[in-house]
Amino acid sequence: MEDLLYENQVIKELQANFLEDIIDAIVQRKKRVIFKVKNNKIESILLFLKEKMGFLHLSHISCVDWIEENRFELIYILWHPQEKINVFVKIDVDRLKPVAPNIDYIWEHANTYERELREMYGIEFKGLVGRQELILEDWDGMPPMRRDFDTLQYVMENYTFRSGREDAQDVRETIANRTGEEIPEFAKKYSR
Amino acid sequence: MNYVLNDRESSKIIEFIKNFARKNSLWVLAYGTGCGAIEIPPTMTSRYDAERFSIRGAATPRQADILLITGYLAVKTLKRVIRAYEQMQDPKYVIGFGSCTINGGMYWDSYNTIKQLDLYIPVDVYINGCMPRPEAVIAGFMKLQKLIGENQAKGWKHYKENLEWYRQNQRKLIKNWKMPDYNW
Repeated sequence: MEDLLYENQVIKELQANFLEDIIDAIVQRKKRVIFKVKNNKIESILLFLKEKMGFLHLSHISCVDWIEENRFELIYILWHPQEKINVFVKIDVDRLKPVAPNIDYIWEHANTYERELREMYGIEFKGLVGRQELILEDWDGMPPMRRDFDTLQYVMENYTFRSGREDAQDVRETIANRTGEEIPEFAKKYSR
Repeated sequence: MNYVLNDRESSKIIEFIKNFARKNSLWVLAYGTGCGAIEIPPTMTSRYDAERFSIRGAATPRQADILLITGYLAVKTLKRVIRAYEQMQDPKYVIGFGSCTINGGMYWDSYNTIKQLDLYIPVDVYINGCMPRPEAVIAGFMKLQKLIGENQAKGWKHYKENLEWYRQNQRKLIKNWKMPDYNW
């Protein structure tokens, strides 16, 4: 475990300061530590990681839609420039009333990520200032990156297709018919 | 001079000369959407050298004859494309590039890209492929030149005549319509 010295030190140091706020902490692999923390303490934990431990860079804020468990998972990905190590800090947000704390006073560029999440997942960030639209224009309706947004249905309602696509054939079958080649048994289940 | 122009045979000759001039000076708007724009630099530069077929780049819509739609077109981009197309001077031609413009291509189930380009702007020539190689692009341009020479590439006239139909299709996608009306 010589390799994971700094990774373990990060966990130890964070646990020393935020013991009851950290739900879970694991070292996933070398140079990657994952924390699961409580929703209301995310700001102080990120501030601590930035100011005291040198995780100066916020790489990304990512979001996972756990529709079965009725929650969004926000993932803050931080980077330590000297130690070259990533820390993932995860929080849960209620899916029916998604509100998360705004952290763009810690990193200014978090503003862009938060606006994207607001647009694509419908997550509200408390006190987020910025134009309502980022990428989509005139979008009213369910945010498109949610898993219960039915892309195919939306496409069928809003767009029309040129005919000629519905008889699309399996290329392999066509060639086999033409040349008399035999399709192997295992490949048959892949063809339409 | 007037009676020369009214003469049917003479106007035919004048039309022929006009079309000859148009087809041999194609200025392409330097604008690309989607992935197809990456095929334009090799087409224009020394390897394939489209300039020997009298095809060159133009900087702004008002100076260009051809609008290339190179690949998928998002609804947001469609707005800009319509505005660019309407600012272009007559005669103007549109080339749809790749399978995305024909029938959605690999983005057929994407919520934000259009599936049929010719519902929104008139297309004179389609080049299929995903992506078409520079040879195919040049073949498409030569096809367009042939159409212009035969006075067949009339997409711009068609757009003027059926503006209501095109507007109706465009408004279906662009809900918040805040577009200027250009006066042709």
